[in-house]
Amino acid sequence: MHPGIYETVLDWIPDGARVLDLGTGDGAFLERVVRVKRAVAEGVERNPELVAGCIQRGLVVHQGNIAEGLDQYGDHSFDYVLLLGTFQELISPAEILREAFRVGGRVIIAYSNFAHYRVRLQILFRGRTPVTKSLPLPWYRTANLHFLSLLDFREFCRQMGVSSIRDACFNARGQVVVLPNLFAEEVVSLLEPAGPQRKIKS
Amino acid sequence: MNPSPSIIQGDLQDQKIAGYQSSLGVTHTQTVTLRGVQIQSGFTFDQVGVSYQTLGTLSARRDNAILVCHALSGTAHAAGLHPDTGRPGWWDFHVGPGKAIDTNKFFVICSNVLGGCDGTTGPMSPRPETGKPYGMDFPPVTVRDMVTVQAKLIEHLGISRLFAVIGGSMGGMQALAWAVNFPELVRVCVPIATCASHNAMQIAFNEIGRRAIITDPNWNGGNYTPDCSPNHGLAVARMVGHVTYLSEYAMTRKFGRTLQPPVNAAAAEAALFTVESYLHHQGESFVSRFDPNSYLYLTKALDQFDLFGTEPPEEVLRRVKARFLVISFASDWLYPPAQSRELVRLLKRARVAATYINLETLYGHDSFLIQNPEFANVVSHYLGNEYRHANSKQAGAAV
Repeated sequence: MHPGIYETVLDWIPDGARVLDLGTGDGAFLERVVRVKRAVAEGVERNPELVAGCIQRGLVVHQGNIAEGLDQYGDHSFDYVLLLGTFQELISPAEILREAFRVGGRVIIAYSNFAHYRVRLQILFRGRTPVTKSLPLPWYRTANLHFLSLLDFREFCRQMGVSSIRDACFNARGQVVVLPNLFAEEVVSLLEPAGPQRKIKS
Repeated sequence: MNPSPSIIQGDLQDQKIAGYQSSLGVTHTQTVTLRGVQIQSGFTFDQVGVSYQTLGTLSARRDNAILVCHALSGTAHAAGLHPDTGRPGWWDFHVGPGKAIDTNKFFVICSNVLGGCDGTTGPMSPRPETGKPYGMDFPPVTVRDMVTVQAKLIEHLGISRLFAVIGGSMGGMQALAWAVNFPELVRVCVPIATCASHNAMQIAFNEIGRRAIITDPNWNGGNYTPDCSPNHGLAVARMVGHVTYLSEYAMTRKFGRTLQPPVNAAAAEAALFTVESYLHHQGESFVSRFDPNSYLYLTKALDQFDLFGTEPPEEVLRRVKARFLVISFASDWLYPPAQSRELVRLLKRARVAATYINLETLYGHDSFLIQNPEFANVVSHYLGNEYRHANSKQAGAAV
């Protein structure tokens, strides 16, 4: 993932927040969140070797897949739930998002934008499934199950009854401000329940 | 996973291992007599003898004590070589200088459980009134009773709070009981390959073992003598138990369908599979060091253990102050990972800081007893980090 995404997320999380990181990998980023933000944090990771890495870093970590990991927690256990880079790999993203809002107040999601112009050009002119910096693996090796664009994600949020209160878009050159659906390779969004009733549609 | 072909399985203290060296050398156990111990059944022992071992050095702040709880067949002799037999302690692979439970850092205590037969008061101990063994008149023992006795031992050793309680299987149940019944006394709890209560299958296997013992004609209502004891029944119980501690992979790898070399022409007719001979050996070796009545009492304690009882789990666990590392093994079919996951779910719902790892060790329930670098790595890092964390918090509080 673009390093700017990690910096942005670190910027968005207030001091002392309770944070749940879904798909925490070796825990390198979560360790930073704990150190820099003095967060009370936990990770969920399915690979036992990576879980061992998290334990080595002194993190509280749960071995399991994301859906199973979320089921472990009571309602409103966290202020922030992070889904960084794993969102397009989830079998049922809608269900996970609902669960994330059950256990947490705000959700931060980072994903790859499938409408980046290079992707569009590769499909249009080469007639091939695109392979780019943010989508580096060929179709038969990628873990991505869903291919979504920034506009798709916004529509998805509307349908789910959540709103993105902050966005940050990135490509290899840095942050993208102009025409992000065309120029952004990766996007990170800070989500909150939308509307006055603040309820997630089910 | 790259298991070494020479991996040692089963209880370490039941093995003759050529050239085995323990970094602790020869270690000793001691005995203390505790007075006035009341147990859950209402029975009060005027005195309870407790056999225990300590390794490492208690820090000046007395904050580095780790209680290691043994499983069904374990003893107080956790690590180092036994002075009489020369055999290693049951957890010598993981307790010692620089090992998972580092005796350079921690003061390790291991005691034989109440109802056991390795020096702590149990069914084969003499009754103070008659001088004859308690036998089946021994009061029923629970996991909580084992912990009550350990708490008295800790007090006797001048330790007001344990840094950690750690154990596998029955030892894991004791660790859980510690965290729930003595919440102020435990900083860190590490239950391994265990559960909050036995399921029907776990009870069933124990009942087969108990049945084998009490239907042995020598059992005689529990009133047997050393030269006429239900060894046959106990050996069968151990054979069944031992199979449940292994995995199909482990057994296939170790024995396959190989046959034992026949000892004579008659034996060649009915060739013995290696696995059969191995189980016979396991049974015989166990009989030489374990009391049949003790086996009955301890398996009953396991079956009756219920961490929550009639209380809602969340209420029970809300009392817990310890932080948890829960470990299960993917190949453990006796205490399947689902039981550990359920325990973790309940802990998390009660807002207890719990780390969970399901290791892919292929050797079944016994995976915590064998040489297991992944396991050792996780335990040593977790204990090290938590100890540092506890110390820095203490230092912070002092400022």
